Amino acid sequence: MAPSYILLVEDNPDDLFLASRIIGKACGHEILTARDGEEADELLRRMERDDTYRHIRLVLLDLKLPKISGLDLLRGIRTSDKLHELAVAILTSSDNETDQEQCWQLGVVDYIYKPMTVDRLKGILSRYEGAQ
Amino acid sequence: MRDEAREGAGISMLYVEDEADARQMVSRMLAMNYPNLTLYSADNGLQALELYRQRTPEIVMTDINMPVMDGIRMSREIKTINPEVLIIAVTAHSDTSYLLSAIEIGVHHYVLKPLNYQELFAVLDKVLEQIELKRLVSAQHRRLAQSERQLAAAQRIARLGSWQRDLDAEIMDWSDEMYRICGLEPGSIPASYQAFLERFHPEDRAGVASSLARALDPDRQPDHTFVRVLRPDGALRIVRLEVEAVREQAGTTGVIGTCHDVTELKQAELQVRSLTEGLERRVSQRTSLLQATVSELENFSYFVSHDLRAPVARLEGFCTALLEDCGGCGHANCRQYAERSANVVQQIKQIMDAFNSLTHLARCALTISDTDLSALARGISQRLAHSEPKRRVEFVIAEGARVKGDPELLGKALGHLLDNAWKFTSKTDRARIEFGWNDQEGVRTYFVRDNGAGFNMKYAPKLFKPFQTIHAPGEFGTGTGIGLATAHSIVLRHGGRMWAEGEVGRGAAFYFTLEPNPESGSYLKEA
Repeated sequence: MAPSYILLVEDNPDDLFLASRIIGKACGHEILTARDGEEADELLRRMERDDTYRHIRLVLLDLKLPKISGLDLLRGIRTSDKLHELAVAILTSSDNETDQEQCWQLGVVDYIYKPMTVDRLKGILSRYEGAQ
Repeated sequence: MRDEAREGAGISMLYVEDEADARQMVSRMLAMNYPNLTLYSADNGLQALELYRQRTPEIVMTDINMPVMDGIRMSREIKTINPEVLIIAVTAHSDTSYLLSAIEIGVHHYVLKPLNYQELFAVLDKVLEQIELKRLVSAQHRRLAQSERQLAAAQRIARLGSWQRDLDAEIMDWSDEMYRICGLEPGSIPASYQAFLERFHPEDRAGVASSLARALDPDRQPDHTFVRVLRPDGALRIVRLEVEAVREQAGTTGVIGTCHDVTELKQAELQVRSLTEGLERRVSQRTSLLQATVSELENFSYFVSHDLRAPVARLEGFCTALLEDCGGCGHANCRQYAERSANVVQQIKQIMDAFNSLTHLARCALTISDTDLSALARGISQRLAHSEPKRRVEFVIAEGARVKGDPELLGKALGHLLDNAWKFTSKTDRARIEFGWNDQEGVRTYFVRDNGAGFNMKYAPKLFKPFQTIHAPGEFGTGTGIGLATAHSIVLRHGGRMWAEGEVGRGAAFYFTLEPNPESGSYLKEA
């Protein structure tokens, strides 16, 4: 059976470490990381082409990212032929209400204020397990 | 008129006749026919003259041929005293010399002897009518003179000159005040149209001439212009010129108008305008200063709410990681330190939230509507009572505290004040919390009063400062220390003020006032 992935898009090394740790505790999924919006975009396009994107269980997306913002990346995912079905959760430390509203409108499975907890992630995964 | 004349009300007559019988007879007849006529009688000219001097009657009816002093001589004497006196001569003489002397001295009425009463009454009626007419005319003269005096005084007091120009006359008519407004003695120069135009500043003359010309247009609505009068001494006066056409049946015959000296008024207006402009300038200066301060505050608050949030979240994450993964190292204090660090992180987050809510309060827009503070207080008291059903607290809430304000914010402020009272009465038997109002020096003042722990007045200045608590931590439950600061800030946003009074162990009272008509929106216009 092919491995399942969680794609973690996060530029801050500490946040990356903390989120990876929580993912490791919450589930057995492999972690794919992207350190900025552009890198994430390239990775997703590649996976879209070879259809490996199907193995991504969840995208954990920071909003404040270098090069391409989390919100733009989310828009890109939602307008893509194949990627639009991906489950995306926002992981942020911003309390900007407009951002949050836009994210919900673009269809996210959760909007998490950092730090993420094991229980919160487990909850999302149990809700969206096999969503694809 | 005729009946009144016949009565002779208010008129007196001196009747002179030397024959006693005739005098009595005629006097009786007169008294019967003219009951309101005051009648004096004398039996010779000298006595009559004396009586005339005392009584000055309007009419003298006299016999001509009398001893001591005859009627002609007496009449002459009386005429010199009062030329207006009306004399009726009663005589048997048809002698021309008598008649001529009588006419010469101004006797106009004759009754011949023997007396025919019808004839006498006809003459007397005529004389009385004459007197009435004279009185009427002189009363009208008096009234006219009085209204002229009044008009002149009114014009002088109001500094309102009037004038009239008849189209077919060379000379205009100017009121005395018109002359004075122009700096001239009344009547000192001929009031020609040319002279009229020359009263005004050269630049304004064409305008004045055109105002007078335009007034002749029958379709034109009355209006006014402000023009300058140039006085001979060089002083300028500003007058409000109003012109109207004079229309008679034959058509428009001229123009009439007023010149109202409004120099002082205009000067005051200018002064007010310059004061207002100065004030507006100052307000706009202050506003930009305030805007700069607010913008700094906004930057700072953005820094706290965004930039600081990420590292604090990280710290929280590491504390959690430490707590979850610790246990292997064996050091006894490790776990305790991790727990306490996690606690500190929670405190930092609370303070950040409190800070953000306070700065938000300072910036947010008010939505003003009718707000019933009593109803809000009642709702809050019910919520508090439900939150701890075991506590017995007496709430006393005065009804009808209706104000204009932002209902959500005022509810929040009252909530903090009542929460505070609820908290600090938690150790009080027979706790009592009161919301009410009174008028202090004419200012409606609302209050929340309790009989709880109270406070020492020396800490009063610290009460409304954020993050300051005056009780030991944990003594009265937890709090972020911004409840009163928030209430205070909300009251300030409503243009009011807040203060507190208290005594340790006796309770506390928080007072606040509100601006009667606060404005909706932010206190700063959008830049």
